[in-house]
Amino acid sequence: MIKIHCLSKHFGNIAAVCGISFEVKKGEVFGLLGENGAGKTTTLRMLATMLRPTSGTATMAGWDIVKEPQKVRSSIGILFGGETGLYDRLTCEENIAYFGELNDMSRAQIKERIKELAKVFNMEEYLTRRAGKLSKGMKQKVAFARAIVHDPKIMLLDEPTSGLDVSAIRDVHEFIASCRKEGKTVIFSSHSMSEVEKLCDRVGIIHKGNLVEVGNIDEIKSRYGNQSLEDIFIKLVGDRSER
Amino acid sequence: MNASKHVWIVFKKEVKDIVRDKKTLLTSIFVPMLLIPILSMLVGGSIEDLSRDINENVTIALTQESNTDEIRDIVENQIIKDYPNISLIDTDDPIKAINESKVRVVLDFEKDYASKLAEGKPFAIKLIYDKSQTKSQGSLGILWNAIGDYNDRIVKQRLDSLGVNPEILTPAMIEESNIANEEKTSGSILAVSLPMMLVVLMASGGIAAATDLVAGEKERNTFEPLLTTKPGRSSLLLGKYLAVTLFSFVSVVATMIGAIIGFVIDPSSMGMGVGTDITGFSIQPLAFFMVIVISITLGMTFSGLQIALSSYAKSFKEAQTYMSFLMIIVMIPAFATMLMQPNDIPVYMFLVPVMNTLSAFKIVLGGSINYAYLLMALGSSVVYVVITLCLAATLFKKENVILRS
Repeated sequence: MIKIHCLSKHFGNIAAVCGISFEVKKGEVFGLLGENGAGKTTTLRMLATMLRPTSGTATMAGWDIVKEPQKVRSSIGILFGGETGLYDRLTCEENIAYFGELNDMSRAQIKERIKELAKVFNMEEYLTRRAGKLSKGMKQKVAFARAIVHDPKIMLLDEPTSGLDVSAIRDVHEFIASCRKEGKTVIFSSHSMSEVEKLCDRVGIIHKGNLVEVGNIDEIKSRYGNQSLEDIFIKLVGDRSER
Repeated sequence: MNASKHVWIVFKKEVKDIVRDKKTLLTSIFVPMLLIPILSMLVGGSIEDLSRDINENVTIALTQESNTDEIRDIVENQIIKDYPNISLIDTDDPIKAINESKVRVVLDFEKDYASKLAEGKPFAIKLIYDKSQTKSQGSLGILWNAIGDYNDRIVKQRLDSLGVNPEILTPAMIEESNIANEEKTSGSILAVSLPMMLVVLMASGGIAAATDLVAGEKERNTFEPLLTTKPGRSSLLLGKYLAVTLFSFVSVVATMIGAIIGFVIDPSSMGMGVGTDITGFSIQPLAFFMVIVISITLGMTFSGLQIALSSYAKSFKEAQTYMSFLMIIVMIPAFATMLMQPNDIPVYMFLVPVMNTLSAFKIVLGGSINYAYLLMALGSSVVYVVITLCLAATLFKKENVILRS
């Protein structure tokens, strides 16, 4: 579903991502682990076609991110950072519908889909209220609904739990689980080991723009003598930092 | 096809979003609507009051030395006899009275005025006034006239007694004839204030929207999700650009409505207190149409610039700072051309941004229409629209500009 091939991004002289390659199969939840500034956000932004790669490319659901960015965008849904990024002056319904319209859904489709999502996320009560007047938890649910209104095949989540409280984190985890259930392919970045261990099928560890390890969590653990993921991470990242 | 649909979706959403913002509504509709009526009431009203006051309540006094019955008699029964608006006041300290604004002008007659008058020699009347007081200074002219009339009467008496016809003193009579047609005279006050106000309003009308639609989105983290939706950046940009353009005109239309309402309620108030009559004002339809098109292109130029600045800004605050700079830059040509007469506008001004629109307005409202100049203004305006839109598009597509915060 996602094939990344020698993807690089340079900002001036700084190499944020240096030729990473990996694949994510359909229906898989892939965790991108790395410290702050490791290149996770830049990678996800390139996959979301917000940034143009300096070299290399990737295909998302069969579309090339450089050659067919529009088609890529219509097959992805994103949730970036802990902020929900809703339009405060629009109602929840309008927020979701706007993204549906932008993704070329018909009015009838949007209406139907909002009804469905409202049930799933239990937000029927506040659907017609302005987003600015809602609690953080409510907003987050609207943001989930907005991200998947057009039923994308791929979800990109960039540190979706950063800055959230315990129950909000739980909601995000449930959301990721539900995406998996629906057969969506998910890449999500995090610096929390437990989160990645709990949710992901496979992980990639990224450090200073390089992918230093990739594979099934159990495989990786056995490769490193059954250490905890955290120990493995520190070993990999520490090793590289010393070089 | 899809792209234009996306532009429309973005435009619709942005307009809805802005309309729900009370702040924006206040600054782009209500304030402009009240601007002209309030301005003309305050400025016009106070100018009118002042000029009426200067003309009507002219108080004068005599210095102590001149305060004799004979002089009082000359002043009251000869000099100010035909001037009911001038009144002679008794005061012990005339200079203090001027300082306290109780008296506008104090008259001091020369000591031996009586003998000189009898001998037919000139004598001096000193007019003491305070130049720092508008009313005192304004009253001076009225006294000049009154004393002039007094002089004329004395001269006439003297010539009569000599048996000479006073007409020999006026070899040439002056007659004035105004060749400006009704359009020119009635339009001139409009030609001064209207274009400037329009340009400033257009520049300010889109500011709130432009700041909100890019810099605001960046700050509220709504921009990244938007960039990952299907439409290309050009569609997003155009939708936002059109929304900003719409709002720069909303202010203009609101101002015009305000002006019309003000005019309907009190036509004289629109003359800004200078007594200009703007009724019966008419201009050629084609010229009027061209000026409207030129001002629309100026509005679009402002929107392009504002979207570009808003894209470039790292934060909402930074965008606001850039916008206020833009306003100052716009004010310069607006004030520079304010007092320029329609006939005196140099040709190059029809090519300079902002000035071209102001100049086009002036020649049309001032009634000296020149279509070649109007075409120059229109052509150059279109070029500026293209340049600013390209600038906005370039910045909007630059990832290091659009994704920084």
